[in-house]
Amino acid sequence: MAEIALEKKAKKAAEKTFESKSSMFSRRSTGDIVFDSINTVVLIVATFIVLYPLLNMVALSFNDGLDALRGGITIIPRKFTTKNYAEFLGKQTLPIALRVSVLRTVIGTLSSTFVTALLAYILSRKDFVFKKSLSLLYVATMYVSGGLIPVFLVYQQLGMTNSFSVYILPGMVSAWNMLVLRTYMNGLPDSLAESAMMDGAGHLTIFFKIILPLCMPVIATVSLFAAVGHWNSWFDAMLYNNTATNLTTLQFELQKMLSSVTNQNSNAETMKNATGASVTPTTMRAAATVITSLPIICLYPFLQRYFVAGLTIGGVKE
Amino acid sequence: MFKDPDFLKKVKNQKVLILLSIPFVIYVLIFCYVPLFGWIMAFQKYKPKTGILHSEFVGLSNFKFLFTNANGMFINVIRNTVAMGLINLVLGTIFAIGFAILLSEFRFTTGKKVIQTISYLPHFLSMVIVTGIVYDVLRMENGMLNNFLTSIGAIDSNINWLAEPKYFWWICGFANLWKETGWNSIIYLAAITSINPDLYEAASIDGAGRLSRIWHITLPGLKPTIIILLIMNVGNVLNAGFEIQYMLGNGLVQEVSQTIDIYVLKYGIGKGNYSLGTAAGIFKSVVSIILIWASNFAAKRMGEESLY
Amino acid sequence: MKNYKKVITFSMAALLVMGMVSCGGDSGSGDSDSGSGGSNAASSTESAGGATGEIKEFTAFHAVPGTEIDSDNEVQQIIAEKIGAKCKDTWLVGQTAAEAMGVRIAGGDYTDFVTAGAALPQMVDAGTAVAIDEYWDDYPNIKNFYTEAQWNAIKGEWDHVYLMPQFGKRYMYDTGTIHNDEAFWIQTRVLKDQDYPKLETLDEYFDCIEKFIEKHPTMEDGTPNIGYSILCEDWRYFCLENAPFFLDGYPNDGCCIVDETTHKAIDYNTTPTAKKYFKKLNEEYKKGIIDPETFTMNYDTYISKLSTGRVCGMCDQHWDFNDGELAIKQEALNKAELKGCTYVPQGIVIEKGIKERYHSDAALDVSNGITITTSCKDIPGAMKFINDLLDPEIHTLRNWGVKDVDYLVGEDGLFYRTQEMRDNAAQESYRNHHLCPYGYFPLYGGMALDGINACNPDNQPKEFYDSLSEEVKECLAAYNAETYTQLLNPSGENAPWYPMWSYSNNLTSDTDNGLAWANMAEVKHAQLPKVCMADDFDKAWDEYMNVYNSTADVQCFLDSLNVEIQRRIDVAEGKK
Repeated sequence: MAEIALEKKAKKAAEKTFESKSSMFSRRSTGDIVFDSINTVVLIVATFIVLYPLLNMVALSFNDGLDALRGGITIIPRKFTTKNYAEFLGKQTLPIALRVSVLRTVIGTLSSTFVTALLAYILSRKDFVFKKSLSLLYVATMYVSGGLIPVFLVYQQLGMTNSFSVYILPGMVSAWNMLVLRTYMNGLPDSLAESAMMDGAGHLTIFFKIILPLCMPVIATVSLFAAVGHWNSWFDAMLYNNTATNLTTLQFELQKMLSSVTNQNSNAETMKNATGASVTPTTMRAAATVITSLPIICLYPFLQRYFVAGLTIGGVKE
Repeated sequence: MFKDPDFLKKVKNQKVLILLSIPFVIYVLIFCYVPLFGWIMAFQKYKPKTGILHSEFVGLSNFKFLFTNANGMFINVIRNTVAMGLINLVLGTIFAIGFAILLSEFRFTTGKKVIQTISYLPHFLSMVIVTGIVYDVLRMENGMLNNFLTSIGAIDSNINWLAEPKYFWWICGFANLWKETGWNSIIYLAAITSINPDLYEAASIDGAGRLSRIWHITLPGLKPTIIILLIMNVGNVLNAGFEIQYMLGNGLVQEVSQTIDIYVLKYGIGKGNYSLGTAAGIFKSVVSIILIWASNFAAKRMGEESLY
Repeated sequence: MKNYKKVITFSMAALLVMGMVSCGGDSGSGDSDSGSGGSNAASSTESAGGATGEIKEFTAFHAVPGTEIDSDNEVQQIIAEKIGAKCKDTWLVGQTAAEAMGVRIAGGDYTDFVTAGAALPQMVDAGTAVAIDEYWDDYPNIKNFYTEAQWNAIKGEWDHVYLMPQFGKRYMYDTGTIHNDEAFWIQTRVLKDQDYPKLETLDEYFDCIEKFIEKHPTMEDGTPNIGYSILCEDWRYFCLENAPFFLDGYPNDGCCIVDETTHKAIDYNTTPTAKKYFKKLNEEYKKGIIDPETFTMNYDTYISKLSTGRVCGMCDQHWDFNDGELAIKQEALNKAELKGCTYVPQGIVIEKGIKERYHSDAALDVSNGITITTSCKDIPGAMKFINDLLDPEIHTLRNWGVKDVDYLVGEDGLFYRTQEMRDNAAQESYRNHHLCPYGYFPLYGGMALDGINACNPDNQPKEFYDSLSEEVKECLAAYNAETYTQLLNPSGENAPWYPMWSYSNNLTSDTDNGLAWANMAEVKHAQLPKVCMADDFDKAWDEYMNVYNSTADVQCFLDSLNVEIQRRIDVAEGKK
């Protein structure tokens, strides 16, 4: 009974937020108009600065490789071709890589957002006796690392090499995301949880029924971070699942192309023999980047509604 | 803590929370703390043959090497790292907040969504591509920046931006801004949604203008988020980066372009010297933790949100 | 009470999930496909001994950058059906070789084959490299690949042979068509403009370019010509720094000059020739002959400038700028002006009378090769695989492709290709899907095993001529040459210590000589561009020498080279 009442309370508060938001800009003064014009100009200029190089990359991706070497391509391809896309899309590993990437992103994001939120909830309880020690334990993880080899050895002992689990487990709890979530939860009024406690609700009920719904904007943010992190990571695929063809990811396939350009500490003598190591043309790199980023880029507009109309009762703590 | 007479009572009252915490403790120990046994390597002359358990111990000589090799080049490297780290920290924070606020004040919902989506796209480009773009902008011959400056008459002859040590840190700083501002603003945008709209309404009834509302309501509302992120990022000052400096750098700016990570690549992992890489890692961790501790302490003293 | 139970259940479940997933690797849980994918490197080879007709699958990791071919690659399948085995090659991605091998050595988990590079001694130390000489009696193609003296050199200080260098074996003779190595390159239009002068010294070389630039400051469309371009990005800065030993008439030892009478290593960075060379670069830079942004160029920009045909000359290895030249050739079809913009090599020395040594025979790099690891469950099978790859028929499949698809056979037994076949082979997607050179398994250079054809299309003389443009043919004819290599001195016999880079490339920074070598490179990276751009060359040079000598313990490095030179001589003479 108490739970239902609480949900209603939250919903009502959210509705109120929405109403007041829409009435917010009902009066416009001259100052507002000046502000808006300047704001619009600034944002459009900023957008253009960001957009131009991106368009340039798209143009490159549709340009003939040898022709592009000559430089000077702006936002329109000079010698149009779809060959770059065809070459990358023709890669036989692509369907597998796409499937693994999607799987790890979905499973990884859901599990890590949920688990991290739970930890954030625990650590946002003001009087929790181990609050400080547990926080410290996690905060420190952001700045210490055993290094490549020791981490590899531990994962190997856990049987995580050549396995899908290495994509999910190590990133399961993110200290960074936890802190972001906790900060947000700290901003919620204590009274909500307290009154629920009075009504006899347990921690899990409060977490699921009150805190989580109120945290949607930040949950959206954190899951976006997690999803993008999962989608973009390739180092784990390279390190732990290098020979397991069925566990390759899209970004790893992309990286295989990009790294022919940036291999560090090569030397002339070994490169001479590396007959298969011709540098992948800029145009193909561009096409591959477009293809591998497109799916994850589409995620954002979907999550955006949580930012635009935040479902929160808002509690600025002063 | 155990001297607290209420401690046991509290534990008893909070057994649910404690039970819930147990898996988290186990997790963090296994995945983050067990691998720290590798730190032993920093005090060894690590050989793969003997492994971490049986390599020869050499005391602090790896740390000594870090600071004395090549006429103390490492000091120079730390300076570069800190400088670029600070530029990233300060500019990154200011631009992300500014962008988030401007965007939240933008009136047209559709335009807002479009701009926001575009602004975060560069985050998905790999550094290889980003540095390629930066390079094209700054090139001496037909570079966009030189062309622009020439056309408005600001310069007479083209400048080789990447050959001048004085520009290098800022170039890296702005490249990072270009890549990450949109992305970093997401978190602030989310935080802005948590600000109570009643406050804005009350303010506008009182006749407060937009700027004054931003100053008196939005920014204070963002304060906890800003502070937490600042504290966390202060600890990352020594992680100023690797790829961008590595790829944009060249012999002429080497003195200002090398970061700790590049140094470690050149003398450590790239040359089969794992102990040196580990020693540099420990150095970075220790400095980060000191910085975090200090800034967290300061935040607490000022009565602000803190990490722990 | 109800909630309390819930919590317990929940925590237990959470623990259980964590536990289960973390052990998932063993049971192959999680992803349904990971069972077959999680090959454990050797699981696939275990079944190898089984039924006939079954194809063994090996795995290989090469600690160099490379391109992975498709897993349904056609030639790979043809070879697999013929020899009953195939191998999945994987390459270095986003890591340094030392890092990648370090992880594998620490973890003790390898692919069946490894090209370990500098990390091989550590593998041998750890006892994870298989001694191939214990098995090779049944595999003549392996045992007879190198001479006994060469195998001894490969063995070095060890008691067994743990690696098989892939490159450096020449069958019969080199066809000597292309010069894939370093030289001072110059565009044919520049030579033509000066009526094909004989260029011998650095001064003559730059003179020639200067005169051309004076006459033709721009291309037809008005973009300025660039006299000389120097790539000095990252490891590619050899284009700037290693010319001095060539200018002194020594072959490409990479890290030093070896005096042929005293057998002592000399630091080429500080010789009078080095100073003259950099002084010349300094002068040309000030004259504007050298591209003003040359020292900040990245590789892409360097290649893009080359591709427009504007760059008259540079010092580089041919494979390094090949992409740019290909672009010129393609564009020349539309733009006649570009026909004279491809390059020919010049054997430039510092003073008249010095005999240049730009072209050398393929060198046997005894420190680099393929190794069978102890993770391999079927060592005889792995030996047989290498052995079979050296079979004449398979060797031709690897290098030329499929008969009538990738090449045709003339009545005289000579292989040739149609333009379509050449275009196919130049296409990355076609190569990945169709061709399978197994490029990091041992292969022959020089001639193919039939004794009629060259080992691969690039070295086939007729193939080579057909690819030359009229401009290049005219240029070659002007110098009484028919191939690029004939523009240079014929390669002499390689000295027993050659090439010294196979030693210096593998140094680690935790040794004194390795550290000196790393520091030398560090100083040169920072100082050489400054020296070239300095207003006061002598001052900048002195400054450079100062930093150089105070930062790096050059003598320590040279001493270790001397020891290595002597060791190699001893090995060659059978003293060890």
